[in-house]
Amino acid sequence: MKLSKLSAPTLLLLPAFIVLAVFIVLPLMFSLYSSFTPFRLTKPDTLWVFIGFRNYVNVLTNAEFWVAFGRTVLLLTIALNAEMLLGLGLALLVNKATRGQRILRTAMMFPMMFSPVLVGFQFKFLFNDNIGFVNNALQSLGLTDRAIPWLIDGNLALFSIIVAEVWSSTAVFAILILAGLLAMPKDPVEAAHVDGCTPWQTFRYVTWPYLMPFAFIAMTIRSLDVARAYDIVKIMTDGGPAKRTELLWTLVGRTAYGDARMGLANAMAYVAILLSIVFTVYFFRKLAAARQQIGAEW
Amino acid sequence: MDTNASHRLRRRLLKAAHFVGLFLAMAVICLPGLWIVLSSLRPTVEIMAKPPVWIPETLSLDAYRAMFSGAGQGGVPVWDYFRNSLIVSVTSTVIALAIGLSGGYAFARYRFKAKSAIFLGFMLTRAVPGIALSLPLFMLYARTGIIDTHFSLILTYVALNVPFTIWLIDGFFRQVPKDLAEAAQIDGCTPWQAFWQVEFPLAGPGIASAGIFAFLTSWNEYALASQITRSVNSKTLPVGLLDYTAEFTIDWRGMCALAVVMIVPALTLTFIIQKHLVSGLTFGAVKG
Amino acid sequence: MAPVTLRKLVKRYGALEVVHGIDLEVKDREFIALVGPSGCGKSTTLRMIAGLEEVSGGAIEIGGRKVNDLPPRARNISMVFQSYALYPHMTVAENMGFSLKIAGRSADEIKTRVDEAAAILDLGHLLERRPSQLSGGQRQRVAMGRAIVRQPDVFLFDEPLSNLDAKLRTQVRTEIKKLHARMQATMIYVTHDQVEAMTLSDRIVIMRDGHIEQVGTPEDVFRRPATKFVAGFIGSPPMNMEEAVLTDGKLAFTTGASLPVPPRFRSSLREGQKVTFGLRPDDIYPSGHGLHAGDADAVHELELPVTITEPLGNETLVFTQFNGRDWVSRMLNPRPLRSGEKMRMSLDLSRAHIFDGETGKALAG
Repeated sequence: MKLSKLSAPTLLLLPAFIVLAVFIVLPLMFSLYSSFTPFRLTKPDTLWVFIGFRNYVNVLTNAEFWVAFGRTVLLLTIALNAEMLLGLGLALLVNKATRGQRILRTAMMFPMMFSPVLVGFQFKFLFNDNIGFVNNALQSLGLTDRAIPWLIDGNLALFSIIVAEVWSSTAVFAILILAGLLAMPKDPVEAAHVDGCTPWQTFRYVTWPYLMPFAFIAMTIRSLDVARAYDIVKIMTDGGPAKRTELLWTLVGRTAYGDARMGLANAMAYVAILLSIVFTVYFFRKLAAARQQIGAEW
Repeated sequence: MDTNASHRLRRRLLKAAHFVGLFLAMAVICLPGLWIVLSSLRPTVEIMAKPPVWIPETLSLDAYRAMFSGAGQGGVPVWDYFRNSLIVSVTSTVIALAIGLSGGYAFARYRFKAKSAIFLGFMLTRAVPGIALSLPLFMLYARTGIIDTHFSLILTYVALNVPFTIWLIDGFFRQVPKDLAEAAQIDGCTPWQAFWQVEFPLAGPGIASAGIFAFLTSWNEYALASQITRSVNSKTLPVGLLDYTAEFTIDWRGMCALAVVMIVPALTLTFIIQKHLVSGLTFGAVKG
Repeated sequence: MAPVTLRKLVKRYGALEVVHGIDLEVKDREFIALVGPSGCGKSTTLRMIAGLEEVSGGAIEIGGRKVNDLPPRARNISMVFQSYALYPHMTVAENMGFSLKIAGRSADEIKTRVDEAAAILDLGHLLERRPSQLSGGQRQRVAMGRAIVRQPDVFLFDEPLSNLDAKLRTQVRTEIKKLHARMQATMIYVTHDQVEAMTLSDRIVIMRDGHIEQVGTPEDVFRRPATKFVAGFIGSPPMNMEEAVLTDGKLAFTTGASLPVPPRFRSSLREGQKVTFGLRPDDIYPSGHGLHAGDADAVHELELPVTITEPLGNETLVFTQFNGRDWVSRMLNPRPLRSGEKMRMSLDLSRAHIFDGETGKALAG
């Protein structure tokens, strides 16, 4: 038996290795290769033409690409920060609640379980300029008499997308930070009160450092999954109006399936993959450091 | 006495503010969903009415009836989509769980070289955006002729779910004290028996939640499914939702009804797992 | 018949060696305690005997059979864990009968043996409960019950009392001792608590940094500690120890004070030799307030100031200043003392210990 010569952990990890290698790594290597060809779906032969870095040069000198790239980073920055702050606020609110905590906790998780497609559709419906809940409400309350073009104006559309994104992902932060609050030992906070800290000082110097690893877990989970914004945008605006909400991912999708330029799209996709990986590694590191700190102190 | 009174007043104000804040937050979280449920029960005329009708005059299940009566209104084959979603999600979950069980156990119980690097590597495969992954998968599946089949979608979702399943299951096994497996071995178990008799039953609820989480990921996935499914053969519900959008018109009511069908299983399952899910994700942080 | 023999037993984690080739013979039906400070390798040694840690070198024999590579289940041992390691998803009865169930015994036999063990440990009324519904002391007894039911050749205990409060600890200690008398099995008991080791065992193994410092009966290790380390580890309060140099036929301490060389050692010490002088609190006492058993001419008397006292009821620990340091002594039939009060102290030098200044080994007198 050759298998039995392998150590137990190797054996146990083997299935995961194989699946991930075959269905993630191998395809990615294939797409890496095709990013060096002018491959078009309509012309299969083009897969065998090697053009070096021409796709990458095209991508990196393409203004449209950089605009989408910048917009993606902007959207992520705003959304992630907003989610973190709102998640923290929500967790604190729920933690303070004296009754019905279980129900509140479950309700808090709802948006997380909505398919991103559903989130996109839901907010497309709510932000519809003609029949949407938001405009109806604003008009009924007399705050405005004309319909606000939420998804038709470029800036408002980006704002609406961020709202949808924040709505769907704040839960990730909220539940994890709440878990941190619940797991937190009471003594240090009480000691801080007795030592004369104001509520703000208590939070800043005692509570928050303890919550950090939990926030980083949430960040890591989110960074594994940032591309779910694709689904939302795809449904809400599909990059429109006039490409004003085009993100890296919708651009990749359009180039690949709309224009059928697979080679070029793969080159773009690699930039997107790199972006995700950088995000994830960064937060993973932070997480590991924060865990160690907590482990040492408690 | 004065300062006491003012502090008491402040505490009351804070309490009121807390209540209002909590109420507003919950409203923002719950209203969109409720609005969709409500809209699915109203006739289209009422949804489209100008000025808006706030209090529904008639509620009916027409939209659901139409949806499930086969190729009813708009001819969207909801039953097929539902079946596809169910087959794909359940099968991929079972496989991902089996793989995750063995991988997660390895991370929780063994020491080996480059452990954290391997863990990170696994997680990074999850970080690949769906749309970016869809390109090569689309090309590969088209070439091998397995595009637009349950088979291809299942395999894809297994790969998608393995990393996170491992993360969660690793966390749950770490919560089962190592002593217990050792005690079982001293009581005469083989390592295999010790696993199934002691460790597995104890990590059971956690493992179930990891399964449900994987199920929901598959159930909700859109970016990949939208490219590697083409027809009634394999289209899943999230992809099917778009059937209600024509070039310029959207059947809002029908879409709302389908959305409710999608979200009900998801919410039910969330109820069941919420407690365990969080403990699996955070275990490492609490224990260092 | 299950003697346990360790031969040149070594444990390494990568490059780090934590147990350095220890030898030990545990006789059949002997109760042996492994004691030492944390990190001394006692638990690792026990876990190697149990088969929970791989052996890096040397050999373990149980009942004359080499078991180095046998899994735990093939060694016919049972173990009581520090955390008790009860299976939370099983009732007390299921916990206790688990090993028999795994071995494929009949339900009747399992029930009989579980009931037997439950009767010994007074667990009969708890059999249907789950571990989470039990108190700490009850859990501890269930863990012992689980070990008994298996009827093993060797019982292993890994600090089984350290999670109990002081009162319960004394109580369970007695139960373990009764159990040993009843079971007639070999028992190996790891603890960091010297009182447990002294009260329970036939012989004590004192370990330090992966080496065995001394093996002996409780009487041996207390009366004749082989090293300075053992002398300091066994006994409470610990032995008074002070470095000294033999100068002009006297033990001269670093601050200039000195004591006569105890009679036993007069012929064996060289002038200028560096040693450590040790005297247990029992052998220092306010004159007239101690139990003196040694030679009258070996008693050395000193006038010393009292710093503090710790009354214990039947006796009082008196700390007196000598050579710049507090020396602890026992005062039987105590009377109230004031701090700073001068006391006439008797030092029974016939009971003194002298250790080599470099190796720390006890010098023969």
